[in-house]
Amino acid sequence: MFLALKEMRRAKGRFGLLIAAIGMLVFLILFQQSLQNGLLTSFVGAIRNQSAPVLVYSVDGQRVIQGSIITPDLEAEVRADGAVGAVGRIGQGTFTVSAGGEAADATVLGYEDRALGAPTALTEGRYPDVAGEAVGSDADADDGFGIGDTVLVQPGGLAITIVGLARDVQLNAGPTLFVPYETYVSAVRSVNPDAGQPLPNVLAVQPADGRSADDAVASINSRSDELDALTRDDAADETPGVAQVRQSFTIIFLLYGLVVPCVTGLFFLIITFQKSGALTLLRAIGAPAERLVGSLLFQAVLIVVAGYAIGLALYTPVSQQRLGGIPLRFETGAVLFWAVALLVLGVGSSLIAARRVLAIDPIEATRGGANR
Amino acid sequence: MNASASSSATPALHMVGVRKVYRVGDEEVVALDHADLTVAADEIVALVGPSGSGKTTLCSIAGGILSATAGSVVVGGEEISGYNDRQLTTFRQNQVGFVFQTVNLVPFLTARENLLVVDEMGRREGKPARARADRLLEELGLADRAQNLPGQLSGGQKQRVAIGRSLMNEPGLVLFDEPTSALDTELGAHVMELIRTEMKARGTSAIVVTHDERITEYCDRTVRITDGVLEA
Ligand SMILES: Nc1ncnc2c1ncn2[C@@H]1O[C@H](COP(=O)(O)OP(=O)(O)OP(=O)(O)O)[C@@H](O)[C@H]1O
Ligand SMILES: [Mg+2]
Repeated sequence: MFLALKEMRRAKGRFGLLIAAIGMLVFLILFQQSLQNGLLTSFVGAIRNQSAPVLVYSVDGQRVIQGSIITPDLEAEVRADGAVGAVGRIGQGTFTVSAGGEAADATVLGYEDRALGAPTALTEGRYPDVAGEAVGSDADADDGFGIGDTVLVQPGGLAITIVGLARDVQLNAGPTLFVPYETYVSAVRSVNPDAGQPLPNVLAVQPADGRSADDAVASINSRSDELDALTRDDAADETPGVAQVRQSFTIIFLLYGLVVPCVTGLFFLIITFQKSGALTLLRAIGAPAERLVGSLLFQAVLIVVAGYAIGLALYTPVSQQRLGGIPLRFETGAVLFWAVALLVLGVGSSLIAARRVLAIDPIEATRGGANR
Repeated sequence: MNASASSSATPALHMVGVRKVYRVGDEEVVALDHADLTVAADEIVALVGPSGSGKTTLCSIAGGILSATAGSVVVGGEEISGYNDRQLTTFRQNQVGFVFQTVNLVPFLTARENLLVVDEMGRREGKPARARADRLLEELGLADRAQNLPGQLSGGQKQRVAIGRSLMNEPGLVLFDEPTSALDTELGAHVMELIRTEMKARGTSAIVVTHDERITEYCDRTVRITDGVLEA
């Protein structure tokens, strides 16, 4: 690709600028991907990565765990359902705790059975064996929520010791502790001695043998207008705010997805106009139009690849960081998706310029032109 | 190739009854009418005529850039009048050389690359083409300018690069459209001398379009054209 490379070498500035611009856009796209996923995970990771396949809320809870209350009647309804296997209670509260000597807000989630609401997997340590132990969110391990750390629920001073850590299990973007149900009850009482026996917020459900999670959901929801059963992933996705966050980011991604082909398409259109004298000359001396188009597309591919490499180089270190408490992650899927998408969009947009090249009439070379 | 052998060889160009009509809106402009022209192998023909007389049109048809409305065009034994765009492209790539009236060089390629691009866009011979480019630059007195961009060359140097470019594909016929019009008399004479030397050394035929009677001295024969009609 003699022509393509020579031209780029002689116009390093303008091609460099385009590559840099694409690099910046790639960086922003990938960064926002990490931000979106980090944001959503920190909001609903505890729901997505807990062990119960089905969660049952009360309808008035509007799909917020803390807003939902399961009365004994509703609980009896769920337990009576034929599509339902094991059922466990989940209670959730937000407490002020002192961790590492500092006050912090922490979410405490109480579960009755490890298979009904505890984190599915641990990155370190073990599950609680006795009351007063907890699995913490690993994103907060360095803030006084690490293994062996003891936090005190205030006021009242109930001690909870962290014995295990799990990844991506925050709720509401803050430190999250998964504790045995009785520890949750103790926490409620330590803050408010008059609380009595708090009602569970949601029920964690395993489908009956041979029944799917969807079966159980449909069956529970048809029993009562006051019950709102959701599969694990639906419960996470339907949490108020999640859809809006997704939608906002989708719009941002769409805009970026448009800007990249607009920038590359316009760039190649402009330089094709600018060098139309040279292209006409080349056509006149026998250069096949396809070879000139090939040269153009080669440049487009090269520019997208180079821009992507720069964007990726900027993104990689940033993706290891935390942003205001939100842990970012290197999103391999997004990196691959955008690589393909931007290549297709970038090269596709340069086809407009390619059409210009194909439309060149070599006879123009014989006429007086401005591009001497 | 020597002169006696070439005179009996296939003519470089043989045009019979060539007509070219441009359509501008509802009007027809006859740019060339009943043109008969034969250029022998090894012959340099001067094509002289006033502005708008059809000189560029004739060269474009002979070079396969433009299709004639009627008539037969045979270049180096190859009948091109029925060719489609793709066939004409291949024909231009291999059989003819051009020096145009205006744009002649790719501005972002050096003098040497402007020669090499002919090979890159054409036969892709590689090494022999590079050797040929270097020899042409040497012959045209441009060896020390090989790495310069067109913007760093004088008018005469640019024109010499264009001549080298036109010879890169080893054509049988080269079409020069006013090769000296942008040069002063002395430079023009020098360039014409170069053209003659290069053509004769290769046994290559040429049509040299010009307004300037003095240029015809460097040609073997002069053909005049007025209002699209040739006169011997
Ligand atoms: N594309 C075109 N459409 C319409 N008319 C054209 C076109 N190209 C050339 N002509 C007309 O054909 C005639 C011959 O033009 P041509 O360019 O061959 O003249 P020329 O002898 O090369 O002139 P000059 O010495 O000014 O270069 C002119 O009358 C010109 O206006
Ligand atoms: Mg002309």
